Amino acid sequence: MTAFSSFLFNYLNGVTANVYEPVSVATRAAEVWAHEPWLAIGWLALGMAVMLGFLVVIGMGLIYGERKIAGHFQCRLGPMRVGWHGLLQVIADTLKLLVKEDVVPAKADKVLHVLAPVLAIMATLLALAIVPATPWFQLIDVNIGVIYVTAVGSIGVLGVLIGGWSSNNKWSLLGAMRAGAQIISYEVSATLALLIIVLFAGSLQLSTIVESQADGWWIWRSHLAGIVAFFTFLIASTAELNRTPFDLPEGESELTAGFHTEYSGMRFAFFFLAEFINMFVASAIAATLFLGGWMPFQIAGLDGFNAVMQAIPPGVWFAVKTGGLIFLLMWFRWTFPRLRIDQLMGLEWKFLLPVGFVNLLFAAVLILMGWYFAPIPA
Amino acid sequence: MSVKVKTLDDLTLPPPGADSPLSTQEYFINMGPQHPATHGVLRLLLRLDGENVREVIPVLGYIHRGIEKIGENSSYRQTIHLVDRLDYLSALMNNWVVSMVVERAAGIETNDRIEYIRTIMAELQRLQSHTLWWGVIGMDLGAFTPFLYGFRDREYATDIFEETIGARLTMNYIQPGGLMNDIHPNFVKRTKEFLEYLKPKIDEYDELVSGNAIIQKRLVNIGILSAEDAISFGTTGPVLRASGVPYDLRKIEPYGVYGKVEFDVAVGQAGDSWDRYIVRVMEMRESVKIIEQLIDNIPEGDYMTVKVAKAIKPPEGRYYGHLETARGVIGCFIVSDGKDKPYRFHLRTPNFNNLWCLTKIAKGWKIADLVAIASSLDIVIPDIDR
Amino acid sequence: MGLVNLRKIRRAKQEIGGREVAVVISPRPEQTRLGTTVWQTFKSLLTGMKITISYLFRPSTVVTQQYPENRETLQMFDRYRAQLKLVYDEAGGRLCNCCQICENACPNQSIKIEWTKNPDTKKKELERWIWRMDSCTFCNACVQACPSNSITFGNEFESAVYDRRLLVYTLNDKAGPDAKVWSAIEDPAEREKLMRKMDRYSGPIPLSGTSLPGNPSGKEG
Repeated sequence: MTAFSSFLFNYLNGVTANVYEPVSVATRAAEVWAHEPWLAIGWLALGMAVMLGFLVVIGMGLIYGERKIAGHFQCRLGPMRVGWHGLLQVIADTLKLLVKEDVVPAKADKVLHVLAPVLAIMATLLALAIVPATPWFQLIDVNIGVIYVTAVGSIGVLGVLIGGWSSNNKWSLLGAMRAGAQIISYEVSATLALLIIVLFAGSLQLSTIVESQADGWWIWRSHLAGIVAFFTFLIASTAELNRTPFDLPEGESELTAGFHTEYSGMRFAFFFLAEFINMFVASAIAATLFLGGWMPFQIAGLDGFNAVMQAIPPGVWFAVKTGGLIFLLMWFRWTFPRLRIDQLMGLEWKFLLPVGFVNLLFAAVLILMGWYFAPIPA
Repeated sequence: MSVKVKTLDDLTLPPPGADSPLSTQEYFINMGPQHPATHGVLRLLLRLDGENVREVIPVLGYIHRGIEKIGENSSYRQTIHLVDRLDYLSALMNNWVVSMVVERAAGIETNDRIEYIRTIMAELQRLQSHTLWWGVIGMDLGAFTPFLYGFRDREYATDIFEETIGARLTMNYIQPGGLMNDIHPNFVKRTKEFLEYLKPKIDEYDELVSGNAIIQKRLVNIGILSAEDAISFGTTGPVLRASGVPYDLRKIEPYGVYGKVEFDVAVGQAGDSWDRYIVRVMEMRESVKIIEQLIDNIPEGDYMTVKVAKAIKPPEGRYYGHLETARGVIGCFIVSDGKDKPYRFHLRTPNFNNLWCLTKIAKGWKIADLVAIASSLDIVIPDIDR
Repeated sequence: MGLVNLRKIRRAKQEIGGREVAVVISPRPEQTRLGTTVWQTFKSLLTGMKITISYLFRPSTVVTQQYPENRETLQMFDRYRAQLKLVYDEAGGRLCNCCQICENACPNQSIKIEWTKNPDTKKKELERWIWRMDSCTFCNACVQACPSNSITFGNEFESAVYDRRLLVYTLNDKAGPDAKVWSAIEDPAEREKLMRKMDRYSGPIPLSGTSLPGNPSGKEG
């Protein structure tokens, strides 16, 4: 442990101070672990509490937002009854789900049935921990952040698969199989898109990637490669999130409710919450990697403009970017119909994957030649 | 000579060898009677190989209410309100077909005003039915927003009905010898407003759904029903016309005042889900055209030509009549023994035949396609079970 | 395979059963180059997104009616069929003369009229006008059949109750002679003597089952 903390400490000292000094909660805890273990535990407890609060607040906020936005997309009002403009509706629904009877089908695999939603929400929580919301708030900042995100993300599919399998319902099984095929396929494209940014930033650590965008976001500094990668990632993560037009695992009109047909009460709430938090995580990762995370919008040379942009706190930047992407995902959902499973697979393997590979090569050439749209001032 | 009756067991026995390169196991699954894609209590027994549909076996009867038998125990006027409940989205056309047969049997004359109003109402009902269907097919294909847009636009037509008739779904409006009551003073104005409102909305339907690349991917060349099959299954309405047969009773045997109006019959070319989809959208435009031609020319006259309290007693004989509802040809067959109740009351409903072509065209496609095909057939379950 | 050009609708004449029918033929997908197809695909998706977002930013297009809150402003159409009512003349006399034509016209026996013969006037006097809303289909046959226009449908659609038995109503609040006898009498005190008060529930079982436990007899449902 001391070795790890000293490594982190040295690493931290080695980091040339930018405008902000990114220090994650885990780092702070590691720093003080050797001489003040209680403080370290305090830091960790704080991190956990904050994350739990974060989880609930974001989950509820997103559910409320989605319902309201969907309502207005469809010439409706959305929730209006509980609280002012239905603000407390989500809380009422949560309470309802918590006290509802938790039905486990008689012939279900009980252990797995209980385990599945836990796995799903655990994967979400782990991914949420790494999101660099602001320079002073990031729970863990591992040096292989991008790999961590993809690795943890694929635990989620395990939850979906197990949930569908253990329910002992053919519709659930169909949904789970669809989910497995879909998420694993699209993971490839999503990872390829992330790799491009890793190439550009030269690091796997999310905080470093954010810092590398101080002079301009990768989406527009990398000629076309960043834009293509961004859209590939957007499509692929929509598919990984099981959202329309890729909501086949749930496909309400086809599979009743897909993999969570047999779930009710709190376990259903877990799946539901995981889905919404996943949406937040995916948007946050996209914002971090392509849109500069909490970095303000900067244009090299325009000092006055840059100063104004820097006056806006980084948390706001992060929230706006992530929120914008979440809105885009909702917009997709409330506009598009669903693809068919073979068309979905075709889109991935015949279109996105080749595009992703070509794009990766193109990005590699760009980096090799040092062609950036706005070169980093050495 | 003996005929082996195919039972459900015969149909559901595992087949000799699946034609898949993988070693897979076929399985059965019940789609319905409670399933979001069957729009009611239809049960489809599916034999599946993974996601591929090997066989579809419709199992009917979950909403059989014996309407025909009840009809034999009710007076001719009372049967009208029963047929509202067959295809509830074509309630007025169902009313009309029974009225038409009873009028023919009992020799009741109607006047021009009645026929004009009946025709306008029937076309409004067709628009109402098609807007709802449009929303529903959107939802079946996974887009929830069209569903609410469809319902929103249908509401305007339903309001027109409510103002004149006093009911929104089961209306009992067209009756032997005329109509339940005269059109409301606001009817003409409101109908014109509705048409002006709907025309840009149909264009919007095209932009939001018809033009959408995913929708076209999901519908084009899926579930092809050839003209021969369509005829041999006895399908009618948009399903038959989508297969390229321009059979429309409004043109072939004009009833009401359809003979006086100009309109085109929408036909398809390939008979796939896309044709069934787009034929209905085109039909909406034609219905708008028909109403526009009629709405300003409703002649004066009575709305009822006979006394309502007097019982109708058609002379002994067999009578048949049919017309075009939003889903196809509805036929009404009445055997009269001279009394005030029909001796035999039988209905030939379009959805029963339209449903059965599903057994042929859904074979070999995926579950998602089955949902799309069933939705493109636009089935209303109570009409099947009666 | 490219996308469908929705504007390309052909008009033609087709023959069926020896008749020529004017038809419009459905548009089909066109063969286009891959680039065009991809471009059209994205364009079509963006067009759809344009429509949905246009509704998001126009709150005036919201059609939701907030029903229980808008009770004051809610306007029903005057012909809407919800509650069957008896019609009274200006003096307050009931038009119904117990001819029972509506009872016969009703397709599902939802109407039952109980009357007694007045030994003095030899005329029918209404005892109970029973309407079974639980089996009524609101088909309007009774209103149409009534020769004296003495029943009508009102708009009061809020008729939900917790007990099905509460849907069997006695429509007349007073039993007694009809408007012909009633309105001929000038003195209001004399008029009242002819009438007996009736409650909304109670009556013969099972048509209006007051004897069943838990039925708040005589109270509005």
